[in-house]
Amino acid sequence: MNHNLILFHSMTSVLKGREVLRRRGIASRVIRTPSQLRRGSCGYSLLINRRFDEALRLIEQENIPTAGVAAVDIS
Amino acid sequence: MIYFDNGATTFPKPKTVVNAVNRAMLTGANPGRSGHQMSVRAGELLYQCRVDAARLFDFDKPENVVFTLNCTTALNTVIQGLLRGGGHAVISSLEHNAVLRPLEALRSRGVTYSIAGVEEGDSEQTVNNFRRALQPDTKLVVCTHASNVFGIRLPVERIAALCRIYHIPFCLDAAQSAGVFPISMRDSCIDYLCTAGHKGLYGPMGTGLLLVNSERLPHSLIQGGTGSLSAQRKMPDMLPDRYESGTPNLPGIAGLDAGIRFVSRQGIQGILRHELRLAQRLYDMLSVCDGVQLYTARPEADTHAPVVSFNVGNYDSEEVASVLNDRYGIAVRAGLHCAPLAHEYFGTQYRGTVRAVMSVFNNNAQVERLCEAINKISKKA
Repeated sequence: MNHNLILFHSMTSVLKGREVLRRRGIASRVIRTPSQLRRGSCGYSLLINRRFDEALRLIEQENIPTAGVAAVDIS
Repeated sequence: MIYFDNGATTFPKPKTVVNAVNRAMLTGANPGRSGHQMSVRAGELLYQCRVDAARLFDFDKPENVVFTLNCTTALNTVIQGLLRGGGHAVISSLEHNAVLRPLEALRSRGVTYSIAGVEEGDSEQTVNNFRRALQPDTKLVVCTHASNVFGIRLPVERIAALCRIYHIPFCLDAAQSAGVFPISMRDSCIDYLCTAGHKGLYGPMGTGLLLVNSERLPHSLIQGGTGSLSAQRKMPDMLPDRYESGTPNLPGIAGLDAGIRFVSRQGIQGILRHELRLAQRLYDMLSVCDGVQLYTARPEADTHAPVVSFNVGNYDSEEVASVLNDRYGIAVRAGLHCAPLAHEYFGTQYRGTVRAVMSVFNNNAQVERLCEAINKISKKA
């Protein structure tokens, strides 16, 4: 399964990330990072179903701190 | 009541601010903590305020907009956070106690500070005074954008640029200027901008902002839960979390965002023009009133904020404020305005001054009522 989730440490980071993607026409949804991916921490993630690689590149270009990427099955 | 105590906090607040606070009280959950919809919505509200504040101050890092309780907390974060290992600081001769007292408290940790004299109407000399006050161990320069007592505007862009040349962090106290003077983080060398949310930004009391435009991050004054990196015992380094432990003031920040939007809609240049016109009118009328002492030159946009400080005859300033309140229903602030340094500058440290500060909600008729009242008081002096 391809990656569809970018993990963040904080609400501010995830919202900045969503805004960056929105400006480039990439749809994303803020969700609570699934518990199995949290590694003892709390956090939020962006669920991105299309143009994931481009989205990740944009987030990295903006220097928004992330906590990794993952693939999850969320319908 | 006719209200001219806008230097303490603006009143009234725009209706949009009141409505935003109410809405947040009715719908807000704890932001950035939980995953449910209400919490995420609350987080979005906070983030929107960061974005709007960043836009107002021409700043491209909304995540570096930190919410504080007030301007004092923001200033303490910078001053105590940068100087806790000791060092020297430079401040202006017009500083508020929000700058002076933290530095005085840090003396026990070996911190020293110098006071650079502000020369009203002579930017060149003021900048030179700052230059001369710098020492090899100077770790911070903090100064007000405009005196909260006399409205004198400092050449802060030039002072900030001077600090950049010497690689010294520069912190601006914009308590009296945010929302009144345009401030660009992008075009200036301001490393830290501290301001109140409840004055020229028309937000509720209990709100303030710290904008961090530097890699040098002050130590956080308080530590605690941030909703991020919770398994880690150390405070997160990332902004704004580093400085935002504990539950934020969501209703206050909702109101602050509405206030910032109000200021943006009005336009800072328009606000300054309106308030300055009123301050000039007050100044002109008081200047022909027998027995009234004015302390500064006539307020002009490039040299003064819309603040007028004065005394009447031999009255104590508090006495005049009391008569204005009791007999004329006019609210002003008298005394030292928490800025003894500024009063020493004008020799008013014993009697203080009466201060009238304009807001967008003041008008000519109110200024005339104030002048009539002062005229009557001065005739009895």
